[in-house]
This record gives sequence, structure tokens and C-alpha cells, in this order.
Amino acid sequence: MADVAWMPGSLFDNIDKFANSLGYQNAGIVMELSMISWKSPEERDAFIVSVTGQGAQGGTEKNYIKRNF
Amino acid sequence: MAENRGGANGGPQYNPANVSGTGGAGQSGNYTGFAYGQNQTVNNQRIEGNQAMASAQAATPSAPASPYEGINMPQLGTLFDPTTRPDEPITAGVDFGPGPGSEALSRSVVANTRIDENAKIAQQYLPDLAMAARSPNAPDSFKRFVNYLIENSQGSNTNG
Repeated sequence: MADVAWMPGSLFDNIDKFANSLGYQNAGIVMELSMISWKSPEERDAFIVSVTGQGAQGGTEKNYIKRNF
Repeated sequence: MAENRGGANGGPQYNPANVSGTGGAGQSGNYTGFAYGQNQTVNNQRIEGNQAMASAQAATPSAPASPYEGINMPQLGTLFDPTTRPDEPITAGVDFGPGPGSEALSRSVVANTRIDENAKIAQQYLPDLAMAARSPNAPDSFKRFVNYLIENSQGSNTNG
């Protein structure tokens, strides 16, 4: 059964990506950015790349539910 | 048909109790009715007094409408506005990404409040985050973050 809590772009997915991209010590920023209503996971990840200069960290593909378009 | 033109219109000039405060001097504001030769003196004094009051009011400093009036401050933008400092990396001053880290900030800015801030975050969100971390689909990286919050949930502020 699909776990919507870990859908790409979900709150917990955002927390995972921001925490592992910006650093655990920046938990305040992580939570604030995670609560932003990002248009898509791609836009969120593009923001992470623009800020950190690296790709979004955290998670592994096997943990995520593939979206059906 | 009878015409209804002319005649009294009921204006204040028909009120017998309507008395001019200037003694009938009309709109000039000049006083009349004093003894011969004194009208000019009294009116000159009135004009000089009015001029003195006007200059005194003009010289009195008044508080500006805004406390920041006259200060040329740029308008605040949003998180997604283009940078106003294109030569500076967006991560200048923080310890990740390009540009100088927090060592470039002045001492008054680098007071580390993140320990207490993280403790508050942990107290506020840990129950939900811990529940999410127990999900079989939770990535290990998320569990590591939750463990970090658990370890740092006490903070350094012993006052509360």
C-alpha cells in the first residue's frame, strides 16, 4: 500500500531533503523551507541546488513512491 | 402664472441679531470704531502680531510623519526575488554553499542560537517526526535527522 507520507514533495520528503542538504544543525531553516508549498519536487530541488551548489541530498530512490503521470 | 423672482432670500444679512465681529469692516479684517487716529495703530499691531505668529509656527520643528523619513531604504523583497547583490553568492555568511562562511560575519551576528532553536524544533515536532521515522518507507537519512534532534532536544538553555 502506498505511503503518502513519503510521496515526493510531501512534508516529510521535504524535511528529509532539506535536512540532508542544508545540514541537521540548521533544523530551523529546514522546517521553514519544508513547509513552503513548493510547486513541485523539481522546483524544490532546483532551489536546493541554487543554494548549496549541489544536488538535493537525502533519501534513496527505493524509499520513494513513483508518481504516475 | 405668478413669477417668483427677486425679494429677500432669507440670508444672514436679514437677521437683526447678526453682528459683525469686526465692527462692520467686512472681509478686510480691519478693526474700526476706535478713537480717531487709533484705528490705524490697532490694525498695524494686529498685522504685526499675525506675522510674528506665522514666523514662529514656521520655525517650530515638527516630528516627521515617518521615523524613517529621509532615509533611503530599499524596499524589502521576497525569498524568490532576484538578488540585489549579484556579485555575492546567496550563501555568503552561512556554513554551506559557495562564498565565505560564518567566519566572515561580525561577532554580534554569529551568536549561535541554533542549539536552543533546534531544541525548540525538537520539542515541537519530534512526536510527529518520530512517528514518520518509524514508517517502513522512511529513508535512513530522515531517521538520522530525527536521531540528531532527539540527541539535541535538551539544548543549552536551562531556563526553560
